[in-house]
Amino acid sequence: MTAVTDIPSQHAARLTAGAKAALITVIVGAVCLALESVAPWLVKWPAAWELPATQWVGAFLDWFLNGIKPAMRLFSDLMTYPMDAANYVLGNTPWPILIGLVTALGWYLGGLPMALLGFIGLSFVLASGYWAESMNTLALVAVSVPVALFVGGAIGILANEVPRVKSFVQAVLDVMQTVPTFAYLTPLLLLFGFGPVVGLIASAIYAAPPMARNVMLGLERVEPEIKEAAIMSGGTRFQQLFQVEIPAAATQIMVGVNQCLMAALSMVIIAAVIGGFNDIGWEVLLTMRKAQFGESLMAGLVIVVFAVVIDRMSGTLATERKRYDQRVVWAVLGFTVLFTAAFWAWLPNPSELTLLDPMAEAVDSGLTAFTQANGPWLDALKNNSLFYVLLPLRIGLDQAVLPFTWGFQWTPVMSYGLFAVGAVIALLMAWCGHLTGGLVVLILIGMLETGIANLPWPFVLTGAAALGWVAGGWRLAALSVGLLCTILVSGLWERALLSLYLSGAAVFSCAVVGGLIGLASAVWEPVWKVVRPICDMLQTIPLFVFLIPVLMVFQIGEFSAFLAICAYAIVPMIRYTRHGLVNTPDEMMEAAISSGATEWQIMRDVRAPYAAPTILLGLNQTILYAFAMLVIAALIGTTGLGQSIYLALGQADVGLGISAGAAMAILALIADRMVQGFAEERRKALGL
Amino acid sequence: MTDATTPAIACQNLWQVFGPGADKALTDALSRSGNDADTAAADLRESGFIPAVQDANFEVKEGELFVIMGLSGSGKSTLIRCISQLLPGTGGEIRVDGENVIGASKKALTELRRKKLGMVFQHFGLFPHMTVAENVAYPLRVQGVGRKERLARAQEVISLVGLEGREDSFPRQLSGGQRQRVGIARSLAVNPDIWFLDEPFSALDPLIRRQLQDEFLRIQATLKKSIVFITHDIQEALKLADRIAIMRDGKIVQIGTPTDIVLRPVDDYVREFSKDVAKGQHAKVASVMRGDESECGPDDPGLTTAMTLDAALAHCMELYEPVPVRDEAGNIVGNVHPSDLAAALQVDET
Repeated sequence: MTAVTDIPSQHAARLTAGAKAALITVIVGAVCLALESVAPWLVKWPAAWELPATQWVGAFLDWFLNGIKPAMRLFSDLMTYPMDAANYVLGNTPWPILIGLVTALGWYLGGLPMALLGFIGLSFVLASGYWAESMNTLALVAVSVPVALFVGGAIGILANEVPRVKSFVQAVLDVMQTVPTFAYLTPLLLLFGFGPVVGLIASAIYAAPPMARNVMLGLERVEPEIKEAAIMSGGTRFQQLFQVEIPAAATQIMVGVNQCLMAALSMVIIAAVIGGFNDIGWEVLLTMRKAQFGESLMAGLVIVVFAVVIDRMSGTLATERKRYDQRVVWAVLGFTVLFTAAFWAWLPNPSELTLLDPMAEAVDSGLTAFTQANGPWLDALKNNSLFYVLLPLRIGLDQAVLPFTWGFQWTPVMSYGLFAVGAVIALLMAWCGHLTGGLVVLILIGMLETGIANLPWPFVLTGAAALGWVAGGWRLAALSVGLLCTILVSGLWERALLSLYLSGAAVFSCAVVGGLIGLASAVWEPVWKVVRPICDMLQTIPLFVFLIPVLMVFQIGEFSAFLAICAYAIVPMIRYTRHGLVNTPDEMMEAAISSGATEWQIMRDVRAPYAAPTILLGLNQTILYAFAMLVIAALIGTTGLGQSIYLALGQADVGLGISAGAAMAILALIADRMVQGFAEERRKALGL
Repeated sequence: MTDATTPAIACQNLWQVFGPGADKALTDALSRSGNDADTAAADLRESGFIPAVQDANFEVKEGELFVIMGLSGSGKSTLIRCISQLLPGTGGEIRVDGENVIGASKKALTELRRKKLGMVFQHFGLFPHMTVAENVAYPLRVQGVGRKERLARAQEVISLVGLEGREDSFPRQLSGGQRQRVGIARSLAVNPDIWFLDEPFSALDPLIRRQLQDEFLRIQATLKKSIVFITHDIQEALKLADRIAIMRDGKIVQIGTPTDIVLRPVDDYVREFSKDVAKGQHAKVASVMRGDESECGPDDPGLTTAMTLDAALAHCMELYEPVPVRDEAGNIVGNVHPSDLAAALQVDET
């Protein structure tokens, strides 16, 4: 415990780094609040001080994009050929043959379970009546994935071969991971105009980084002795790379292929927002806008089916594979061809199949019945969360507490009272030796009173610097402040705070709930048996689809967005918490047991501390996931940067889109570095 | 160029220093210290460099089995990687068959590896995606040898290491001992003159290790390669070596025959190694023999120079006077006093 060094003393030199940082933050915050009436600029960054950075970025990008436009247009014209070809092939192949092909592929990759998955999955797609739309989506994936694989693979190999560019490539990949998906789309829109090619290129850009990452990782992890053996065998560099290192890294590279496929599918569907082209993503969007939730859910399910089939089948590539009897493959293919030939005249047109329409209608009517029956309860849940949790977090108790919702009006006296309570708690904690904890409580109470969206900017900067300093030294502190300042002067500050508030609330909920679920899964195996498939499912579903069920029950609004973000971002928290807790080394557990520790003591004193770095990494992933979803959730009602990016897309405003995207990336990057810093520190403390 | 007297490998003032700008740092440190290796090494350490190999000087004669021994971190693996040019070498010379390989072109090195060098690794370094036969044939494949021809040659070496029947297995399907047999077969595929073995048996169980050591000696007896063999196991070193070099903190502290190492350790470090060794099994009568042949007593238990001390002592348990020692041809070449035999065994009983 660090409590020993936390004992307060008159000598500031004896304070821990955390206590010092917290103390400075408290002082800055208090000064800002105290001087608010005298110097309002201390709280709200004056509009007059903003630079028109958004316009500058816009003007520059317009100029730049116009410059490369001819080349890009040529490229897109070229890309239409393979796309048309893929469209033609997939669109005109009779459906029994396609189903047979996928079933045979499933058998080849993973035996009976995969064959069944392929068959049932595609049959569902056929029955849903979205066959043609699905084939259009699939055609896009089929063209974008090879491009992404090639580009990503080439980048990965290049980074491996030329050590000098490696850190640069790594940095670019990091940034690309944090820039929200919609932000890519705006400049692409300008370059390529509306239409399917934008989706194609966006998904190729989005899907290449995971491939590059995994190729780099795989090549890096090839045992040094294998590399040396290739050298000593007298291979040229080319022979070493292509005959030994790449095949030896195949498993990791296949993980890359799997991720690449999933990313491409996800992006192709998101790109429907600008596509307006007859694919399955567009279908979801259209039905959602028309509030036809039954159809929308059905189309969403089709996407999920594709995601599951593609993910599980390509996932088998990355595991040790058994060989399955190839005669089955030929038998399946032969049968489908014969079947098609024999029943050619009677085959129904897949677009006219309406087998599942009754189901969609049933869902629709069931939903209406459900919302009507549970209306009061659902509304109460939604309104209570909004008025008593989200709103105070956003604009602070002083503005959120109104007679209309809380039954009374917040007065300055109450503020003073609240601060007094906070001060007492902080003093008490400091007395017990938890000075840092006490100060943090004080800070949190201050934030609750003011609201995240109304936080004084000097306080936010100081807070970020303090956190950065504790997590990763003065370098991280300087980086955080510098990057935040660019947001501050560019006039996106308020929107950034709004984004911070919503993602913060979501991350906090995910951390608490996900952590508890992870803990339960770790100590009780049956829980994990239930939770695990749910986690697998949630991670396979493309972002877009999360919006449908939330929207069905809670309509458009901040609460729905909040739920969608939570549903997506909670998974890593659960997984990493469980993983960290379960993987305590056996000797450690045995040592604890033989010392006579109880279950609970082992959890508290051995397993939890050992798992801390892993859990922090889970938190880190959760933060990144939350930011990614925040932008998508803008479709159903969030304010802040996500909305700006979405609006920019609608207006083809590159400056706003890219600036807001960059601001978002900055927030994500800072959060990422800080949590990584804390995790690194914990790992070092444990000697891992 | 090569003649009978040219050593297979000769290292002169060989340095391997790790750290940014190590080349210049080494030159500077050497000129500051007036070419004194120890001072230069201390100097380098102080400024944050790691002198993993310091001023190594030795020769490996043709057909000699040269063992480099030391604890982990003593620089032995770095040294063998210098000689095989997996590491560039920071300073000094390495002559392979009389030609300096430091600074040799990439192409020349590739050529050298294709024709003259073979290497065996501690953790085998097998290619996981290739079968046993493909692994063994790989050094031929990179040279463009046709499939049929290279698989035929692979078959020969696979038989040599006793792995017939496992040609189509993948490395993951083999036991540790079998994997190292594949490693050995692969390193012999191009019939190299010089054979590097980097702790080849360290990752194996004691029983398998002994079995492979014996087979290794059998193979060497027929092939007569010039060998650099790395180990941290003194028993292994004494069992296999013609000569042993002992390394400590990057420095070679002693080079000598197994008997030298056991009976005449240069310092406490080397003595510490030989402490556990049953000396009588390694030291030969020749090492305690006196040249004077006239002072022998009446008994002649038939000692020879090549006998181990243990064996000799067993022959003259009850004798108290010097006995004659013969060479291989049976001529008396000196005498030994039985008490000297006993005394030699007790050098380090403190």
